Amino acid sequence: MLEKIESIMSAAKGKISAVRELAQLNDLKVKYLGKNGEITALLKSLKDYSAEERPLVGKYINELRQKVENLILETETELSRIEKERKLAEEEIDITLSKRFLAQGGLHPITKAKNELVKAFIGLGYEVKEGPEIETGFYNFTQLNVPFDHPARDAQDTFYITDDILLRTQTSTVQARVMEVSTPPIRMVCPGKVYRSDDDATHSPMFHQMEGLVVDKGITICDLKGSLDEIAKSFFGEDTKTRLRPSYFPFTEPSVELDVSCFNCHGAGCRLCKGTGWIEVLGAGIVNPAVLKASGIDPEVYSGFAFGVGLERCAMLKYGIPDMRILFENDIRVLRQYR
Amino acid sequence: MKVPYSWLKEFVDIDITVDELADKLVSCGFEIEGVIRMSDSIKNVVVGKILSVEKHAQSDHLSICKVDIGTETVQVVTGASNVKTGDLVPVALDGAVLPDGKTIKAGELRGVLSQGMMCSGAELNLTEDDYEGAGVYGILILKDAKAGDDINNVIGNDEVVLDVAITANRPDCNSILGIAREVAAVTGKELRLPEMSYKVNSENVSSYVAVENKAFDLCPRYMAAAVKNVKQVVSPKIIRDRLKAVGVRPINNLVDVTNYVLFEIGQPMHAFDLNNLEGRKIIVRRANEGEKITALDGKEYTLSNKDLAICDSEKPVAIAGVMGGEYSSICENTSTVILESARFARDSVRHTSRRLNLKSDSSQRFEKGIDYISQETGMKRALALFDKYGWGEVVSCFVDVIKENYADKVFTYNYNEINTIVGKEIPKQAIIDILNSLTLETTAEGDMLTTHVPNYREDIVGINDLTEEVIRMYGYDIVEPNVYSKTKGGMTPAQSRMEKLKDILVGKGAFEIVSYSFISPKAFDMMKIAADSNLRKAICLVNPLGVDFSVMRTTLSYSMVKTIAYNLTRGNKEGRLFELAKIYIPKSLPLTELPVEKYRVSVGIFGEKEDYYTLKAITDDIYAVFGINIAYERTKIDYLHPGRSACILSDGVEIGYLGEVHPDVAKEFDIDKRLYIAELDAEFIAENGVDIKPFKVISRYQGMERDLALIAPIDMPAAEILNKIQGACSDILDNLEIFDVYTGGQVGKGKKSVAVKLSFQHVSRTLTDSEVNAEIENILNTLKAYDVYLRQ
Repeated sequence: MLEKIESIMSAAKGKISAVRELAQLNDLKVKYLGKNGEITALLKSLKDYSAEERPLVGKYINELRQKVENLILETETELSRIEKERKLAEEEIDITLSKRFLAQGGLHPITKAKNELVKAFIGLGYEVKEGPEIETGFYNFTQLNVPFDHPARDAQDTFYITDDILLRTQTSTVQARVMEVSTPPIRMVCPGKVYRSDDDATHSPMFHQMEGLVVDKGITICDLKGSLDEIAKSFFGEDTKTRLRPSYFPFTEPSVELDVSCFNCHGAGCRLCKGTGWIEVLGAGIVNPAVLKASGIDPEVYSGFAFGVGLERCAMLKYGIPDMRILFENDIRVLRQYR
Repeated sequence: MKVPYSWLKEFVDIDITVDELADKLVSCGFEIEGVIRMSDSIKNVVVGKILSVEKHAQSDHLSICKVDIGTETVQVVTGASNVKTGDLVPVALDGAVLPDGKTIKAGELRGVLSQGMMCSGAELNLTEDDYEGAGVYGILILKDAKAGDDINNVIGNDEVVLDVAITANRPDCNSILGIAREVAAVTGKELRLPEMSYKVNSENVSSYVAVENKAFDLCPRYMAAAVKNVKQVVSPKIIRDRLKAVGVRPINNLVDVTNYVLFEIGQPMHAFDLNNLEGRKIIVRRANEGEKITALDGKEYTLSNKDLAICDSEKPVAIAGVMGGEYSSICENTSTVILESARFARDSVRHTSRRLNLKSDSSQRFEKGIDYISQETGMKRALALFDKYGWGEVVSCFVDVIKENYADKVFTYNYNEINTIVGKEIPKQAIIDILNSLTLETTAEGDMLTTHVPNYREDIVGINDLTEEVIRMYGYDIVEPNVYSKTKGGMTPAQSRMEKLKDILVGKGAFEIVSYSFISPKAFDMMKIAADSNLRKAICLVNPLGVDFSVMRTTLSYSMVKTIAYNLTRGNKEGRLFELAKIYIPKSLPLTELPVEKYRVSVGIFGEKEDYYTLKAITDDIYAVFGINIAYERTKIDYLHPGRSACILSDGVEIGYLGEVHPDVAKEFDIDKRLYIAELDAEFIAENGVDIKPFKVISRYQGMERDLALIAPIDMPAAEILNKIQGACSDILDNLEIFDVYTGGQVGKGKKSVAVKLSFQHVSRTLTDSEVNAEIENILNTLKAYDVYLRQ
């Protein structure tokens, strides 16, 4: 018996260690431990032994069984591990290759400029208002203090549909409409499309403005500068300097233009700022009392300031776009630069 | 407006540099568009003293000269024969620039080195009147110069011209005098008025001409004066130089004087030949419909009864404020001149100028608006010039036809009102000093100020205007920022949903485009839109920039297809684009009231990997995100492929469409690839989109999946099959989708195989097989009635 056990052990050992594949190992499992396996047979043959001998013989056979089982298990584990690693190595790929594009789209630069500015103003408590693009002369000129004989009413600058229906030339029309139906305090911005008869590198027949209006008691030029400074800083950078310069708009009196320090050369002078160190960004002023009155707001009680900025100009300045017409070509190679 | 520095200095002392002056003008409200240095037109041309002249060996008419140019001696070859040793001549050196733009290079002339070129007067743009000797056929021989001098200083080409932008509210600054007033105020210097005194004879102008005004509304003031025995000569150099500096060509003294006064004083003037004024009368009236006049430009113009004409007793002799007539203008024989100095309503001049398509310096000046005082100032200045240069005998008195009683405006106010607007304390005395320096005479009594505003400041109508005068001179740098917040602000939910719609499309890899609201009328034909389609009922602009920008679009589809075509020609082979913009629907045509403006969003996709189903995946998801239930139905849209287009319905209402662009339409745009567009009602989404959907409980229990392979009639839409299945199930059906559609082969003609995956789940327990089986049986029974069977 003992010899038999020995011989099975050594045979098993030899066979198991020679195994290279799990399938072979399975066969061996069956050969030794299966229903008709050699070790199982030995266990079956226990009945041929006497009652005194059986415990000892049984113990030896079980030891054998245990050893073979363990051996098989170890080999199985090892083979699995090798197989797994082989598989992983086989699955190795070139990790630097770019096979697929899950492209993110993007908003148009004009929209981005608008969103940024609108967000800054919302932060100061402004509402966003809109109005029709096709307007009457009443809201586009009369309510904005543009006199009847002013050249701005000319067909040269404005697109007309009938004598009194035209494409709005500024978004101040929305301010006029809002003032007509609101009581102060008013704080609003109105972004939108405007139309003027002009077409070159810095002008387009259709472009976008965002105008803003604040009407309340005791509004001063200092209040105007306060809001404009906030905006300039948030859009162009915290260390942007600003300055006010006198100017003229029919809608405001006094009127100013706001310059920001050139963010390209920081005031030293360069091509972007034409050597002056300043870039003109927007127009503004105290709302002309005549305009308040025309809209039904008592200028003796209330005052206000208004401002307007060209969104294309902001986008061009911030994103370094040299020609306004690029913004309307909608070439994907340009659009994808602004995701 | 061009302001020559030397002209300006006649009225105010300037002891700062041109650049410093420019800065000061900017600080008080006048942008400088440029500084033109006349000497920039002639560069690197110096005075040379001829040391020797030798004949050129290889050429008869060339001479080799040695010339001392101050720093060195150079050799110059010239073809001129009028130069000799000792002459001072202009020498253009290597790299020199001449007024006609030519550059001079050193080189060889017939084998001999020439380091420059001697210049004639003509080459330096000089006539004999400009510089003695400049008219000579040959080299300009200079006087009062020394070798090495810059030629610009010698010939007096050293003028600097400031190009000043005048805002529309300051028409009074459209003149040298007007700018001089501002410069005096901002530099703190005294203003000198121009010479305006002259001798008159003992006659009276009324014996020369009578003026009748029949249109005071269009001509509030008309002044006339007479000068007899006029001489026509070339104007003096100073006048010619100044006119050239502001861009006007000098002609002769009589024409030049009216231009000179226009630019110096800002008053347009006109000169008539008295001999050609029939009846020695001037009648200011509206033209008769159809009256004709040949203007100074030689063209004949037909006037309407809306145009103001200056007429004699028979016919129009001038288009008021725009251009004089040829017949009555100055000619060789003119001996008595009638000078006109008038105020014409700017609106009238503008309309006439536009209608006749005729512009002049005079009409442009009137369009900006003129006051009442300039007529007299201009007239006196003109007559003073006549007298000074002895161009004629000035007849005494003016004719002055005016109705309006113009007077200075007087404002009385508390100085604190100004500070209230600014928000800072400006001292009372500072306010008074500033207003006085601007010729707005101000006196004080305690805190109350009284300001007299002269008539030429028609722009000052109230306290805000006075505040502006003070603060722009005092300086905006005293303004400190104030910030405060009293209102709530923010976007409305509908506005936010519009932004979210854009974000969804960006997330789908699409780029936002911005295209023009106006399109070409050709668009409708190119899109093959039916002749009776409502889309063609579009608003047209009366004065578009061009016909391609003349129609306000009623659909975004054309612009999207056009943009895709543009990208394809640029080599961008694939892409996804979207636009959120308005369409303009007239309530009636022609327009009698404002149209309806609606927001639409258009989506366009193109490229090999794209197809109808990709676009549908995008629209599916948009509405899913917003919680809007939709259905797709076949539709017929003129510009879409009839078999690959659908309209999108919500509760039976059409809220959008999508489809492949009709190949015929693609061809119109030279596109030979497939492209897909959708157009959705963005306002519907903004108004009906759900921001927060009710929470859907997630089951913690296991669900069951079943796949069904169905045979259905080939033209039964997927949506219908899914609807029927859904209708046949209870609420344990969690999800269903078609994951394969197959035709041909074993499936049989007129049929297709549709593979459906169903997911079942109960929210609070595990499902049993029998429950799910029952659902399947229901489904199959229901589908039988529609000729849909389980595949065997």
